Amino acid sequence: MTTITTTRRATLAAAAGALAMPAIATGQGQITLDVLFANPSFARFFHPIAEAFQRANPDIRIAFRQPAPSYDDQHQALLRAALTNQLPDVTFPGFNRLPELARTLAQRGQILDLGPLMAAEGPKWRAENFSERILALGQVDGRQYGLPFNASSPIAYYNPELVARAGGDPDAFPTSWEGVIALGARIKAAFPQAMGVSYYINSFDSDWLWQALVHQGGGRMLTPAGDAPAFGDAAGQAAIQLARRFVTEAGMGLIGADQNRQQFATGGIGIIFDSPARLAVITGLVGGRFPLRTAPFPITDQERGGVPTGGNAAVITTRDPAKREACWRYVRFSAGPEAQKIAVELTGYLPTNRRAEAEEYLGAWYRQNPNALAAARQADRSLPWEDYGANGPRIHRMQQEILTAVMRGDIPPLVGLERMVAQTAQLMRA
Amino acid sequence: MTSPQARREALAGTLFALPALALMLALLIAPLAALILLSLTDYRLGAVALRFVGFAHYAELFGDEVFRRALRNTLLYVALVLPGAVFGGLGLALLLRARRRSRPFYEVAYFLPVTATLVAMATVWQFMLHPALGPVSALLRGLGLGHVDLLNDPELALLTLALIGLWQLLGFNMVLFLAGLSAIPRELYEAAALDGARSGIDRFLRVTWPMLGPTTMFVTITSTITAFKVFDTVVVLTRGGPMGATETLLYVLYLEGFQYFRTGYAAAMTVVLLGFLVLLSLLQARTIERRVHYA
Repeated sequence: MTTITTTRRATLAAAAGALAMPAIATGQGQITLDVLFANPSFARFFHPIAEAFQRANPDIRIAFRQPAPSYDDQHQALLRAALTNQLPDVTFPGFNRLPELARTLAQRGQILDLGPLMAAEGPKWRAENFSERILALGQVDGRQYGLPFNASSPIAYYNPELVARAGGDPDAFPTSWEGVIALGARIKAAFPQAMGVSYYINSFDSDWLWQALVHQGGGRMLTPAGDAPAFGDAAGQAAIQLARRFVTEAGMGLIGADQNRQQFATGGIGIIFDSPARLAVITGLVGGRFPLRTAPFPITDQERGGVPTGGNAAVITTRDPAKREACWRYVRFSAGPEAQKIAVELTGYLPTNRRAEAEEYLGAWYRQNPNALAAARQADRSLPWEDYGANGPRIHRMQQEILTAVMRGDIPPLVGLERMVAQTAQLMRA
Repeated sequence: MTSPQARREALAGTLFALPALALMLALLIAPLAALILLSLTDYRLGAVALRFVGFAHYAELFGDEVFRRALRNTLLYVALVLPGAVFGGLGLALLLRARRRSRPFYEVAYFLPVTATLVAMATVWQFMLHPALGPVSALLRGLGLGHVDLLNDPELALLTLALIGLWQLLGFNMVLFLAGLSAIPRELYEAAALDGARSGIDRFLRVTWPMLGPTTMFVTITSTITAFKVFDTVVVLTRGGPMGATETLLYVLYLEGFQYFRTGYAAAMTVVLLGFLVLLSLLQARTIERRVHYA
């Protein structure tokens, strides 16, 4: 009798245990991370990366929020969420918005310093996976708030047919701006209805391309202290004079950014400059019309010159201590070689992870897609995308207006530059 | 003295009105009060603290070159769109009323822009107006007008947006006028004919136009408000450029509030915009109402 009772009890307990199993699994094992990223088109690499991550980490589920239309929209959504305590667990702010976001959230204790987590992985892990130059992109006020996920610097896209028919050599893209303008002028002369070069800082949706023109000449937008504009120097003067010369010498017309990409894709522009993240998009737009080629961004000052780095970093904004470890695993995976391979192959971005360039990850792909190499070849030229602080977007609009006026010939380049510097200084104080 | 009966009725009435009143308070009055309060502070989105600044934002507003330019652009836009939207809508309705079999076709054709989502249509416009690839530019070149860039020339961009705004508004106003026309009794025309109004112009001036008074008033006020609130075309087609030529009030407001995060300043701007709309509507209602004949 007693034995039977025990068996019965054991059976009951087992049954109860079996019934409770799923509850335990979801309660303990399954952690759901709430993730927000910007730019809906990025879903095509965020989703496959999340799937790969979940395969490797079955106890974590990634739930994406509706992606924000742009980095600025995402920034705004995050600030609002901070107020209502509805921040996602992990998010991917643009490099230029990261400092302001990190400072605002740090003040409220809503962002995690990744420094200790990275230290726990050990110095070997750090050195194997990341270059200090890349890590610097995610640092704010000396703390590693973001782990760089996507990175890009502007490259040249050109139409080799127009170049060849204008008497240029498509296999030797100019490495100086004088060369670019001369080639543009020849294309314009050969095809009067086309533009030779288009450098659309008049309509680009951020000041990234304008910063590139200053950075390549060895200039910086801000003083080392970061509290005043510094682009009124010789590098800035050279940059703004180049901007005007694209119009007067290389046949550039002042049209919208998308209009430029469309016109380039139909063979109506010889050379444009844009993000390598658009490589897949522009290749798609061109279709088979001509064999699209890319080249690194010409750099005038070989010593101090560089290119501003666009892209985004992963930050952890969860307030739930239980989720932190899971968040870190996801962030670490995203910046790891497997995830980078997925992101790079689908866009043209630079890998932020050193190991990703190895043969087993991207090696073969780079051989098959030489157009993606232009960005990789200038990776060691990466400079931070400088940020003017809280008034950044406003300063960009003001600068764009003055740049447009200069390019149209309404005001002389140097007068325009002086005005830009003065108004930037004023808006930075405001 | 009120009788207990009347008092009970009054109480019941109040109780019945209460839910609506509460909703009105929560959805209309309270946000407006919050808006006005915010406009007196230096609040920035995401900030932890805020400070009262009194009317400083309002003072800044009228010295702000960007705001003044946006105000000028908006008024110009309204001035460009409004006459076309009202008289164009009326003209279309008058023309269509006489059609018998082709009327549904025209109605649908003119109403299509109203149903089309502008953001989607803007992509089409962007292509149509592309200076090198677009058919409109090709047409203008064919007409011997040379190289005209409708969206990127600061002198033309606002006019272009106004034409697109008109295209969008015309069909809607036409339908309103058609409804107004169908409400005019036949007998009035017969009586007018007996009294010697023989020509179409006479009939229009003596019967149609006066009888359309309420419709015209409604169309004018709604068109003004719609034109004042121009935003979507600006965002999708020009983003306020080139060189601020198409920065309108609502767009600048959006920039201040949602791009620059100066919530307090944006709130002050909203209050001013609201004031403008109320004033304009009142003014129009007053002047037109005096001449409107409600049948």
